[in-house]
Amino acid sequence: MEKIIEISQLNKSYRKRKSKEIVQAVKDVDFNVYKGEILGLLGPNGAGKTTTIKLICGLLYPDSGEIKIKGVPNTAKRLESLHHISAVLEGNRNLYWRLTVRENLEYFAGNRGRSRKEVKEEIDELLQIFRLKEKENELVNRLSRGMQQKLAIAVAMLANTEVMLLDEPTLGLDVQTGLEVREILKSIVQNYQRTVIISSHDMEVIQDICDRTVIINQGTVVIDQRVDELIKLFEVRSYRLTLNEALSPDQQKAISARFPANDYVEDELFSYLTVQLEKSEDIYQIFQVLQLNRTPIDSIDRKSIRFDEVFLKIIEGDFQHAVD
Amino acid sequence: MLWINLFRANLRKEYLELKRYLPNTLALVLTFYFIFLGLFGVIHFFGDPSTQDANIQFVIVNYIFWFLALSVIQMFGFEIVNEAIRGTLEQLSMSPMGIWRILSTRLIASTIIYGIIISILLVITMLTAGQWLNIDIVSIFPVFVLTVFGMYGVGLMVGGLAIVYKQIQAFLQILQFLLAGLTFIPLAASPLMYFLPFVIGVDLVRDIMIDGQTLMDIGWLPLLILFINALVYFIAGLLFFKYCERMAMKKGLLGQY
Repeated sequence: MEKIIEISQLNKSYRKRKSKEIVQAVKDVDFNVYKGEILGLLGPNGAGKTTTIKLICGLLYPDSGEIKIKGVPNTAKRLESLHHISAVLEGNRNLYWRLTVRENLEYFAGNRGRSRKEVKEEIDELLQIFRLKEKENELVNRLSRGMQQKLAIAVAMLANTEVMLLDEPTLGLDVQTGLEVREILKSIVQNYQRTVIISSHDMEVIQDICDRTVIINQGTVVIDQRVDELIKLFEVRSYRLTLNEALSPDQQKAISARFPANDYVEDELFSYLTVQLEKSEDIYQIFQVLQLNRTPIDSIDRKSIRFDEVFLKIIEGDFQHAVD
Repeated sequence: MLWINLFRANLRKEYLELKRYLPNTLALVLTFYFIFLGLFGVIHFFGDPSTQDANIQFVIVNYIFWFLALSVIQMFGFEIVNEAIRGTLEQLSMSPMGIWRILSTRLIASTIIYGIIISILLVITMLTAGQWLNIDIVSIFPVFVLTVFGMYGVGLMVGGLAIVYKQIQAFLQILQFLLAGLTFIPLAASPLMYFLPFVIGVDLVRDIMIDGQTLMDIGWLPLLILFINALVYFIAGLLFFKYCERMAMKKGLLGQY
């Protein structure tokens, strides 16, 4: 796959204003973004996510390391690299509130050297896609937050760049508008062959629309993996066995000795054993224990895991097995 | 073509915002006019009657240029601070045209718009004062363009400070008085005045508008000095702005307010 953004050995530190203490915001960050993918950039507050985004956008200069956008280094050839990237950084604050929807689109296109005539049809199309046609002559300050957010994304679209970077695209939106924005983003990638980087705290958005995720914590990349693979890696280690008979005390002791992170409950019909496995082949050890009393197994289910649980496990440092 | 489209977009934006913020625009024009009336009243009622006409003409030209200098020089700073408050500064910085080009075209656009407003105000002030200045467009225009060019240089320096420090309103207040000094003090006051920004330009405009001189009367040397002065200030302003922009990007101050 073609690399659109190459980030290598990126470092950035700040000096705190009052204490003068130096904070390493980004430490040896290293990842690539490939053509046509939707990449989710995740991290808790203060993890270095925003710094990374601003470094990619060329709004910050790194202390060391390099970012290339379509092969163009974004520090040495900043303006040239900006031909390939557009961004929505502060959502509805990225707009001129005393200009109308259409005027905003025309103005930002003009700032990239494009004439009103040249972008007229593109604007018409975007207004249709973003369902803003009826509001095209409305001042931005009279629009709802969701509409403002959609307009900000439309402005970034109009820049006609291969890469679009969206910082918290669904923040503060109601459920309906949030879903609408998600659908629009999916269609942008499918129909306009754009590469999108999304930074978000909304795990559902990341799980729903991103192909791959890069998780940053304490300034470093802790995970760089496909979202579906990541979920699978965590999911595969958690099993729930439904048994037709109760386990004997010896069996329970043997299970606890081998799998300390287990949960065993009984009811009138069945007994349930939930275990966390380090390796998937460890399931055979459970079978050995069950075989001692020939305990019949009713079913084995892989316990489903939500993406926010995966994220939390990674942030808490429980990711070595996933990486291995 | 890129520059033309950039300029058109910014001219339109300036015009639209001026229209949408009409009360602000009207307040600005009325303030300008009432301050002029105050100055005119002082000269008329308390000044020496033998030099009254010359003094009023002097005040009209200086006052107009002070207003122009204020608009042009402070605009860069105000625009950067306003964009940072609005949250659009980083968005502008992401244009491949570069922020200084965007703000420069916006400045040229606003100079044109304010030029029209100032021309109307000039006619009104002349009508009020009953004093008619020599409006020799052919002579005034090149001097005006070079003078404004030098003002842009100073404006870029102010913009550079704004991009790093943002909260420069107090400095802009003081700057008003410095600019008043530069426009009101005649060139003959000191040889040092030749090195200061746009003082030569304002002096030449006074020669044309008050003393009725033409470009031929002025000669090439003062025009050459004005050209060099404007060019030096513009280049210095641009370099300083680029330096400050780089510093803001290194320290992460661009979008901060």
